[in-house]
Amino acid sequence: MGDVEKGKKIFVQKCVQCHTVENTGKHKTGPNLHTLFGRKTSKVSGLLCTDANENKGITWGEDTLMEYLENPPKYIHGTKIIFAGIKKGERVSLIAYLKKITNE
Amino acid sequence: MTSWQPGRILFLLALLLTSAHGISSNLEECLVLQSPEGSTVSCHRVTKFPSPLPADTVHLSVEFSNLTELPARALERCQRLRELHLSSNRLQELSSGLLTPVSGLRVLDLTHNELRGLPLGLFRASAALHTLVLRANQLQNVSALWLWGLRSLEHLDLAENELRVLPDGLVLSLISLSTLDLGYNLLETLPTSLLMGPRRLQRLHLEGNRLRRLGFGMLALQPFLRVLFLNDNRLTEVVPSAFQSLRELDMLDLSNNSLSSTPPGLWASLGRPARDMQDGFDLSHNPWVCNEDLQDLYRWLRANKHKMFSKNDTRCEGPEALRGRRLLDVAELESL
Repeated sequence: MGDVEKGKKIFVQKCVQCHTVENTGKHKTGPNLHTLFGRKTSKVSGLLCTDANENKGITWGEDTLMEYLENPPKYIHGTKIIFAGIKKGERVSLIAYLKKITNE
Repeated sequence: MTSWQPGRILFLLALLLTSAHGISSNLEECLVLQSPEGSTVSCHRVTKFPSPLPADTVHLSVEFSNLTELPARALERCQRLRELHLSSNRLQELSSGLLTPVSGLRVLDLTHNELRGLPLGLFRASAALHTLVLRANQLQNVSALWLWGLRSLEHLDLAENELRVLPDGLVLSLISLSTLDLGYNLLETLPTSLLMGPRRLQRLHLEGNRLRRLGFGMLALQPFLRVLFLNDNRLTEVVPSAFQSLRELDMLDLSNNSLSSTPPGLWASLGRPARDMQDGFDLSHNPWVCNEDLQDLYRWLRANKHKMFSKNDTRCEGPEALRGRRLLDVAELESL
């Protein structure tokens, strides 16, 4: 349902500073998102990951991302992500893009 | 790698439950986690700034708490602080000495507060700060003097404020600046000196303002710019030399403006044949008049269509015969 192309633009606009999505992408301030879907919030080797994300024990999928990306500091207390949140329509597109790109 | 101590967490949770009706905020209402680097303190919906803070606090988050002010010596005890997250409070002003004890601070997030300004000298000890977020406050003006001392700053976010006019040399002292976000303000014009200072600015966000014209001088100061968001403004005119210096541009968003035409030569240094734009460009939602004045743009579109966002929303407004046609289709027909 989301517009994958629009999602890509949103990713460049708001996410790319801290995240990569490619298979070989490195971790930046935030983790590489290539294996995002289905991944449990968990330790990622080599990073001081957000303790808060880790302890919440959720699995990333469309529903959890919809909630998280609306307002990250609210969803997972103490998360290190600096982010004012994304509006609903844009979230749908962003998640569609993330789903597509992380499957390639 | 982080580690956490189950015993301590359970103890704190037990305290939280039993002190659910606590009147004054103290550290026991916050989540405290240990790691080899130090303590992470996370407080939500507290009524007062937490105290006392562990001396080894490296990450402090006091958010969604309606705090209107901070004690002047709030951070005195945690001199190893690396990150301070204060988003979604109601802070109206900060004391000048607030950050003096935390000279190792890397990140300061003040998103969603009610700041109208910053005190001089706030960042006098902040040579290590690399990220400063002042998004969604009530800044009506901003002074380069507030930012004095931020020689390591890479990311400055001033978006969603009420800035109408910017002073000359706003980021003059920010030599390490990589990203400047001025989106969603009330900017009608930009001083030519806006981008003077940073050695290598990479990203510039100007979306959601009231810009009507894009001249030459400003962007010429940052030839290594990679990302430029100009969407959702009121642009009617872009001068032919506006993008002349930008030979590394990977993303250009001009969508949602009032462009009916672009002058020949505008696109010469962008995309193919020079080099592919890695991410792409967006010209959608503009009132394009698809006549012979657009020949140069048509030629460029044919060479770069693989990087074009929103093809279906990039349409001719005129002339009447071509109204509603996709710009790309008209461009491809022109080559026949």
